[in-house]
Amino acid sequence: MANLKDIRTRIGTIDNIRQVTRAMKLVAAAKLRRAQSNMEQARPYARRINGVLKHLLPDINRHAHRLLSMRPAQQKAFVVVTSDRGLCGSFNTNILRRAHNIIDGAGKDQSQLICIGRKGYEYFNKRGYRVVEHYTDFWAELDFGHAVKMAEAVTSRYLAGEFDDVRVIYNQFKNVAQQEIVEFHYLPLVLEEEDDAITIDFLFEPSKDEVVKSLIPRHLNVQMWRFLLESNASEQAARMTSMEAATENAGDLIDSLRLQYNKARQAAITTEILEVVSGAEALVE
Amino acid sequence: MAAQFHLEIITPTKVFDEGDVDYVRAPGVDGLFGVLAGHTDSIMALGLGEVKVTKGSAQTIYACTRGFAEITRAGVQLLVESAETQADIDPKRAQEAYDRANAYLAKKQDAMINEKRAVRALERAMNRLRVARK
Repeated sequence: MANLKDIRTRIGTIDNIRQVTRAMKLVAAAKLRRAQSNMEQARPYARRINGVLKHLLPDINRHAHRLLSMRPAQQKAFVVVTSDRGLCGSFNTNILRRAHNIIDGAGKDQSQLICIGRKGYEYFNKRGYRVVEHYTDFWAELDFGHAVKMAEAVTSRYLAGEFDDVRVIYNQFKNVAQQEIVEFHYLPLVLEEEDDAITIDFLFEPSKDEVVKSLIPRHLNVQMWRFLLESNASEQAARMTSMEAATENAGDLIDSLRLQYNKARQAAITTEILEVVSGAEALVE
Repeated sequence: MAAQFHLEIITPTKVFDEGDVDYVRAPGVDGLFGVLAGHTDSIMALGLGEVKVTKGSAQTIYACTRGFAEITRAGVQLLVESAETQADIDPKRAQEAYDRANAYLAKKQDAMINEKRAVRALERAMNRLRVARK
């Protein structure tokens, strides 16, 4: 039973890992709270912009705005939102698998990718997809400026005619235990028009058209911001759940190793006693 | 006592509830405009600039970026991408951003889009500095 020491070392190692996973779980929980409150904060703004746009769209000639009018989609762009870091369960695996399917369905050659988060960038870059833009290492200091930068980059490429259709694939936060992968039609802008026409007579300064024109980029920015916040909250939730599971598993592992250790120790003691007894008996005879 | 109206400044990261105010002056895309109680229902596009709020004898100034104002009988909501009071602005950071954008524009070697971005950064920094120095 020479492995007594081995087992002791293994228990020590697993205990260390358990401490790490437990700490990660706590950190993720704190970050999740912050992400959720960010989402709450963004809601009133997003809702108002959406409301006013919906209110205005029926009166607007869609073809006058390039961000609103459909055109035949020859080149498609996909914005894939993943995390920078791993250790968050199947968070990245799931979304990458889904995105991979969607993009292959649209045709690899007709697709351009904008990867947000290191995991997605590494995945698609390695597989030879056309990643035209990527953003990594910003999640830790996520702010609205990032969303603006991304939205503007996507929009200006769209306006330059590099692609005709933009989809965003991201994890939507449902609750702590659940994330849902969503494919969102980002550009051209489609809003379900409301039929409960609340026709309040507003005065528009400088004009309806101008207001819509200045509203659309605002709307796109806040949409992008929402994707980032949702994905961030989902990531933290996924990490929290998986780290909790890891902590639990480490505990189970330690329990079973401790049992093994005790058995081995007893076996060792028994052998020793046997040796002593038989040695003593040998002396008597 | 003149009639008052309710004012909220809503940004994607924060809501400033100003409560009942007397007067607000905001930067419309075609120039400054002022709102008093009883204003016609309107929606106005806002440019970058300062928003001045008067409540009694007190005055608050915000440095705001683009957005729009929704004026209804119930009150006024300014929806802008960022709003900062004088106290929120870090003049040093704004000055740095100003210098950076300026240096960038002086070199002017990159593509159009970057230049546009730099111009906008410059405008934002100038706006912040102006408000901070009031």
